[in-house]
Amino acid sequence: MPSEDDVTRMIRDTVESWKPQRGPDWPDVLMRLASTGPPAWLLYTAASAALVLILITAFLVGSALHIGALAPQEIPSHLP
Amino acid sequence: MSEQKELDPSTQFRQLYDQEYRSVYRSIRAVVLDSAAAEDLTQETFVRAYRARDRYTPTAPPGAWLRRIGINLAISYLRRQKLARFLPARLYIAPDRRDYDRAEARDVVTKALTGLSPKLRAAVILHYYDGLTREEIAQVLGVPAGTVASRIAKAVAIMRKAIGNDQDWEPKRSSSEGALRGR
Repeated sequence: MPSEDDVTRMIRDTVESWKPQRGPDWPDVLMRLASTGPPAWLLYTAASAALVLILITAFLVGSALHIGALAPQEIPSHLP
Repeated sequence: MSEQKELDPSTQFRQLYDQEYRSVYRSIRAVVLDSAAAEDLTQETFVRAYRARDRYTPTAPPGAWLRRIGINLAISYLRRQKLARFLPARLYIAPDRRDYDRAEARDVVTKALTGLSPKLRAAVILHYYDGLTREEIAQVLGVPAGTVASRIAKAVAIMRKAIGNDQDWEPKRSSSEGALRGR
């Protein structure tokens, strides 16, 4: 079994031998910076707000127009 | 960690990119064990660092700051990959591992690193390759220094066993030959 020093040396030798295929690509960094959209938290917040707005609007419209389950329910007046 | 002159990320970012690119790439690759993903994540590390360059405080060298971003991106990437496996097959396209298996798993160290969890790999590489102290690694990974020490000890024990059991490992090989003879 290798010693800890052996493992340390092997890790260093192996990692040192790793070379990126493309290498440093500064123009790619600039392109990524330029093509960045809105941050994820803003997208999620906007989507959540839109969903809440849709649900509230649907409730208000449904209750105002008496649509579906929001319409007045028929109450049986003749009890057996 | 580095004897080179420390650069200021807010004014010398381009030079910092050229100086630190390779070592950041190697640290990330040691965690993800995938060269293509490591290159992509290295670029993303510098994109994030560039956006945050004005918030950099010189409490740690810029290299350690970049590694912090890179290692955390790498761990997040692996977490997303793991979660993606639960998606329906149509939505999840598994990365083609054949090239990786063929080209990268042939050396004993990479095979031993594969047996570690990403967090153990991160601790090992930051300590033995980047030369960070346990306290610095604790800052990078956001865990107590004692946890870092136990992760390193556990990882080294696993790696020693894995390398010792590997048929490709040659004991008493001189350091000048390196671990990747014949690559």
